[in-house]
Amino acid sequence: MRKLMVIVFLFLFMCIAVPILSQELDGEAIIQKVSDIINPDSSYGKARMVIITSSGKSRTFVYESWSKNHGEKNLVRYLEPRRVKGQATLMLNHADDIWMFFPRTQRVRKLATHAKKQKMEGSDFSYEDMGSGDAFVQDYTPQRLPDEKKREKMCFKLELLRKPECDTSYSRLIMWVSQDNFVPVVIEYYDDRNRERLQKFLVQSDIQVIQGIPTAKKMVMFNQNDNTKTEMELLEIKYNLSLDDSMFTERELKK
Amino acid sequence: MKRQSCFCLFVAVLVGLSLNTLRAQGKEQIELFGYFESQIMGANLQNTNNNYNFIQMYTNKLRVDLKADLADNVTFAANFNYITYHGKTQWDILDFLSPQVRAETPLGIEDFYKLIFNDRHYLDNAYLRITYRGLDLTLGKQQLSLGTGYAWNPTDVFNTKDLLDPTYEQPGHNAMRLDAVLGKIGNLTLLYAPEEGWRDSAKMIQLKTRVSHFDLSLLAVEKTWFFHDYLQFDPQGADFRLIPETRRLWGGSTAGELLGLGLWAEFGYNSMQSSQDFQELVVGGDYTFDNQTYVMWEFYHNTQGRSDFSEYTLNDWMRLLTAEQKSIARDQLYTFIQHPVTDLLRVGFSGIYCLSDGSIALVPALNWSFSDNVEVLAYLNIYAGKEGTVYSPSLGNGGLLRVRVYF
Repeated sequence: MRKLMVIVFLFLFMCIAVPILSQELDGEAIIQKVSDIINPDSSYGKARMVIITSSGKSRTFVYESWSKNHGEKNLVRYLEPRRVKGQATLMLNHADDIWMFFPRTQRVRKLATHAKKQKMEGSDFSYEDMGSGDAFVQDYTPQRLPDEKKREKMCFKLELLRKPECDTSYSRLIMWVSQDNFVPVVIEYYDDRNRERLQKFLVQSDIQVIQGIPTAKKMVMFNQNDNTKTEMELLEIKYNLSLDDSMFTERELKK
Repeated sequence: MKRQSCFCLFVAVLVGLSLNTLRAQGKEQIELFGYFESQIMGANLQNTNNNYNFIQMYTNKLRVDLKADLADNVTFAANFNYITYHGKTQWDILDFLSPQVRAETPLGIEDFYKLIFNDRHYLDNAYLRITYRGLDLTLGKQQLSLGTGYAWNPTDVFNTKDLLDPTYEQPGHNAMRLDAVLGKIGNLTLLYAPEEGWRDSAKMIQLKTRVSHFDLSLLAVEKTWFFHDYLQFDPQGADFRLIPETRRLWGGSTAGELLGLGLWAEFGYNSMQSSQDFQELVVGGDYTFDNQTYVMWEFYHNTQGRSDFSEYTLNDWMRLLTAEQKSIARDQLYTFIQHPVTDLLRVGFSGIYCLSDGSIALVPALNWSFSDNVEVLAYLNIYAGKEGTVYSPSLGNGGLLRVRVYF
């Protein structure tokens, strides 16, 4: 009987208290939680990226990535196809410092931050979308809009306006964040100069809890301008690893 | 030569022993990959009678790479190239030069001013890398990429880039290289590239560090520069007379960002044993616009080059066309713009403007990803300049189509 009462109490608490707590969260608190979830202390991942062009042709890439200090350090290395195998990108200081390694020429090039705007191997993801770590918190001012149901999930809806001093590629983001786990279900990216013009949108699905961290295993970026899309699937993911700082150096980039 | 052979033999024995040991332990992991490249290039040449003659050369290249992790800290990598040439495989260099420069040709040896492309196969790279804590020791034929410049590298005494295709891979060089991590200070590189004797061998020391968002490197190199005198023929060697000279280079390079623009610079002061000292400087910048358009520029200054094109000599031209010398003009500007038209197709346009003689080379290009492992590169090279300038039409307006398949 006592057990039943505890369960009923917990159920009532979930039904009443969680929505109340949710209502109390402002935009900044929500985006901080989102940032915390998508930037764990450290991680290793292996992903497959499929670019699908407007004519239906596809290009498939497989890469490994390592990150540390909540996304402050990132290393990405391509495994497939053969054409780009061994090519690697090192991003430090939340992608303020970027180096690229080209194995066929054995050359490392230091890139300026504007290179973050470039498409990652021609995909609909830019380097900025992939490796900027805390960009949602640092580069945008969040505002909470009325909650909405999106892709069958009750979501916090946020509008993120680019801070005047920041040079990100998007003037505005609209984000639907699942109230269950703070994973963004959909993110809309708006044009650099026209806040009303939708440039592309990201849909995240197959959310699984891995080592206690909710993780979207499938992502699809739809590009409205080019009528293309890029699918990303996480093949492997590990969190909170012990990664040495020496991993995130030019020396490691060349390996 | 003996020393080089001994050195290669030493590396081969070391690799052989390591492979055998690993085979016995069952730990061997060997990767085999590479590419096949088929390329056609053509040029429209004007002959002495002012008639145009279109010539073309077809090249097939097979590159096979081998990489093996022999142990946790030992890697062996090598690549073998087999290249076949077809079509016009003997290029008469004098055809590309102005009548004034051609007039310098000594009588009786005109037939030796030729670039001959014979089928060849060679071990391009073959090296062993041993890693121990903060040290990397690389032994054998290896690519040496120095400097931050895109089209020119004043600090790179080992390679000369093709301005029409500056990102093409460079050949391997026989060397012993030690890279050491110096904690937060940066990295130290020591390099020794053996020739016949200690004095002829190349020695290099380089220190790399970071200041704010800039990478900095300082280096000193001593290397014998093998120039030819293209006005004197050595009948014994059946080649033009070789005039080796010790070159000492002190230089540095940097790359970083300022006010949102990518910036890089590279400088080299060359102290020459017998000819005049000279210095080279490169300053460049780049930017990517929100619409993905990428723009880049690079200025190159070389005091070895001449500021008046009427002073270009036959020796200058020969050294430029045989890649012994990076430039015969003093100041040049390289500009590049590229835009991804679709996810699979990029179009670009390079302009190389010789500030010293007013000539220009225009290079429209496209890069198409035909499939995951097949890429197509095509470019035109259009020269516009007075006769005798660095980019005059007498060099032959033309183009190149290259298909590369990776495996």
